[in-house]
Amino acid sequence: MASLRHHTRLYFRLLGAQVRSQGAYRTSFLLDSLGTLLITAAEFAALVLVLPRFGSLSGWTLGEVCLLYGLAELAFVLMDILFGGFDAPNLSGHVRSGTFSTFLLRPAPLTLQVFASDFALRRVARVGLAAAIAGYGLTHAGLSLNPQTCLLLLGAVLGMIAFFGALFVVGGTLTFWTVDSVEAMNVLTYGGRTLISYPMDIYGRALRRTFTFIIPAAFLSYFPVLRVLGRPLPDGLPDWAALLPLPVGLLALGAALGFFRFGVRHYQGTGT
Amino acid sequence: MTIQSPPAPQRHAGAAGSGVALYAAVARLGFRRPFAYPQAALWGVVTNAFFGLLRVSVLVALFGARPQVAGYSVTDAVTYTALMQAFIMALALFGWTDFMRTVHRGEIGTDLLRPMNLLGFWAAQDAGRAAAQFALRGLPMLLIFQLGAAFTGGGLHWPAGPLAWTQTILSAALAWACGFLFRFLVNCAAFWSPDAAGFGRFAWALLGLGCGFLMPLAFFPAWAQAALACTPFPSMLNTTVELWLGLRSGPGAWVALGTQLAWTGALLAVTTFTLRRGLRRLEVAGG
Repeated sequence: MASLRHHTRLYFRLLGAQVRSQGAYRTSFLLDSLGTLLITAAEFAALVLVLPRFGSLSGWTLGEVCLLYGLAELAFVLMDILFGGFDAPNLSGHVRSGTFSTFLLRPAPLTLQVFASDFALRRVARVGLAAAIAGYGLTHAGLSLNPQTCLLLLGAVLGMIAFFGALFVVGGTLTFWTVDSVEAMNVLTYGGRTLISYPMDIYGRALRRTFTFIIPAAFLSYFPVLRVLGRPLPDGLPDWAALLPLPVGLLALGAALGFFRFGVRHYQGTGT
Repeated sequence: MTIQSPPAPQRHAGAAGSGVALYAAVARLGFRRPFAYPQAALWGVVTNAFFGLLRVSVLVALFGARPQVAGYSVTDAVTYTALMQAFIMALALFGWTDFMRTVHRGEIGTDLLRPMNLLGFWAAQDAGRAAAQFALRGLPMLLIFQLGAAFTGGGLHWPAGPLAWTQTILSAALAWACGFLFRFLVNCAAFWSPDAAGFGRFAWALLGLGCGFLMPLAFFPAWAQAALACTPFPSMLNTTVELWLGLRSGPGAWVALGTQLAWTGALLAVTTFTLRRGLRRLEVAGG
């Protein structure tokens, strides 16, 4: 218990150091936050500006699309803030420059140090935007806000954070062996995020089934949102499949952290 | 040390011919560089194709049963997506910070000692880079989309006839020039800010929305289109796509090309001015 408290304090101290260094240039930081925010805003604006002209997206209204898009964006941004240290470009940078070996020498848990090694303060503004989009969806999708709905959606967000975090951990760990060429992971992480931001019935059958049964992305937000909206699940899946995001996410995260530990044991450094 | 303005061309009198050869050599080297990483290009194509598939799905779902929206047919929408994925790397639509980096690291000092115009040097290098990226990633992307569309019983929309091809290629070259000058201008922020990356992120997001990369501008509400028409962004990509799809033809096509040319000229003036001001306050730390 005491060690847990100690580690939590350590984590926040490491974050605090990053916050201080990133806040050193005020104007630059503000512009950076605004720029990061604008990337999401532009992508979302493109859809919102265009949707009225078409009426709906495969029968989904703007409010319903907002719910789906906002939840996915919210989870992904929170995941990015939490797991940023494991993102392949960041971790491979540490491996290549040799700073990863420094982590191994410090008297603090390795995983904790990696977790706290890339806290991008500028992303915090994006959390607000994502929450606003999801909030608009919650109030305009015509659903009843009872505790059950809230729990289901909260589970979905936590499940998505764990699942995409697992993908970041796996992608980062792969850089121990192949310093570059982990671009394929981007298809799963950023591609997966984009994929589940829209109602999945717009994709072809083969693509939708791949991302339901082989890569379980559909479980993460599409199924819970379908259930909240009172729509049936596709492919004859039972209703309880909508409750899976959290267990699926935690399982994936556990496996990924195991893989990370395996990778660290085989890490040999780059000689720098 | 403080570095004065770049060396004037007349200091190398009688070298007009070799001057062109110099920029051609820089462009050639810029062209060859991306070919050094074939694996990266391959993964890039795979990633772009996957995102292309997702984007096509969204657009086709938006169309639903409608045969046409704002002059676009479903085939046009698929072609539009193929073009976007083909141009991402060539036009550096996710951003470009190469020049910014040389300012921050002080490498610009070495570049300024070279007997060439700094903007011309970077333009030549970027033209080579863009051509290589289009050959390496753009052409395979168009081929993949053509094959994919043929597989589902359709095809892509290609420019109709030699005139349309000529206009489209001219427009693509102008889109590159316009976009390059904008990117360079944004990178000039490095002269004033110790961390211009945030400024860049802001600009690239604007570029993505304004040039029609995220959605065809014709789908936007009239007020948004009118507002964007007063900016150079549509000239950086959207115009080329509309020429390719034949949405602008006849005199309208020449007006579109003229608009692109005018914006390129205006951006050239602003960027040259900004670069000169930036160089005047540049200080390179010794070391």
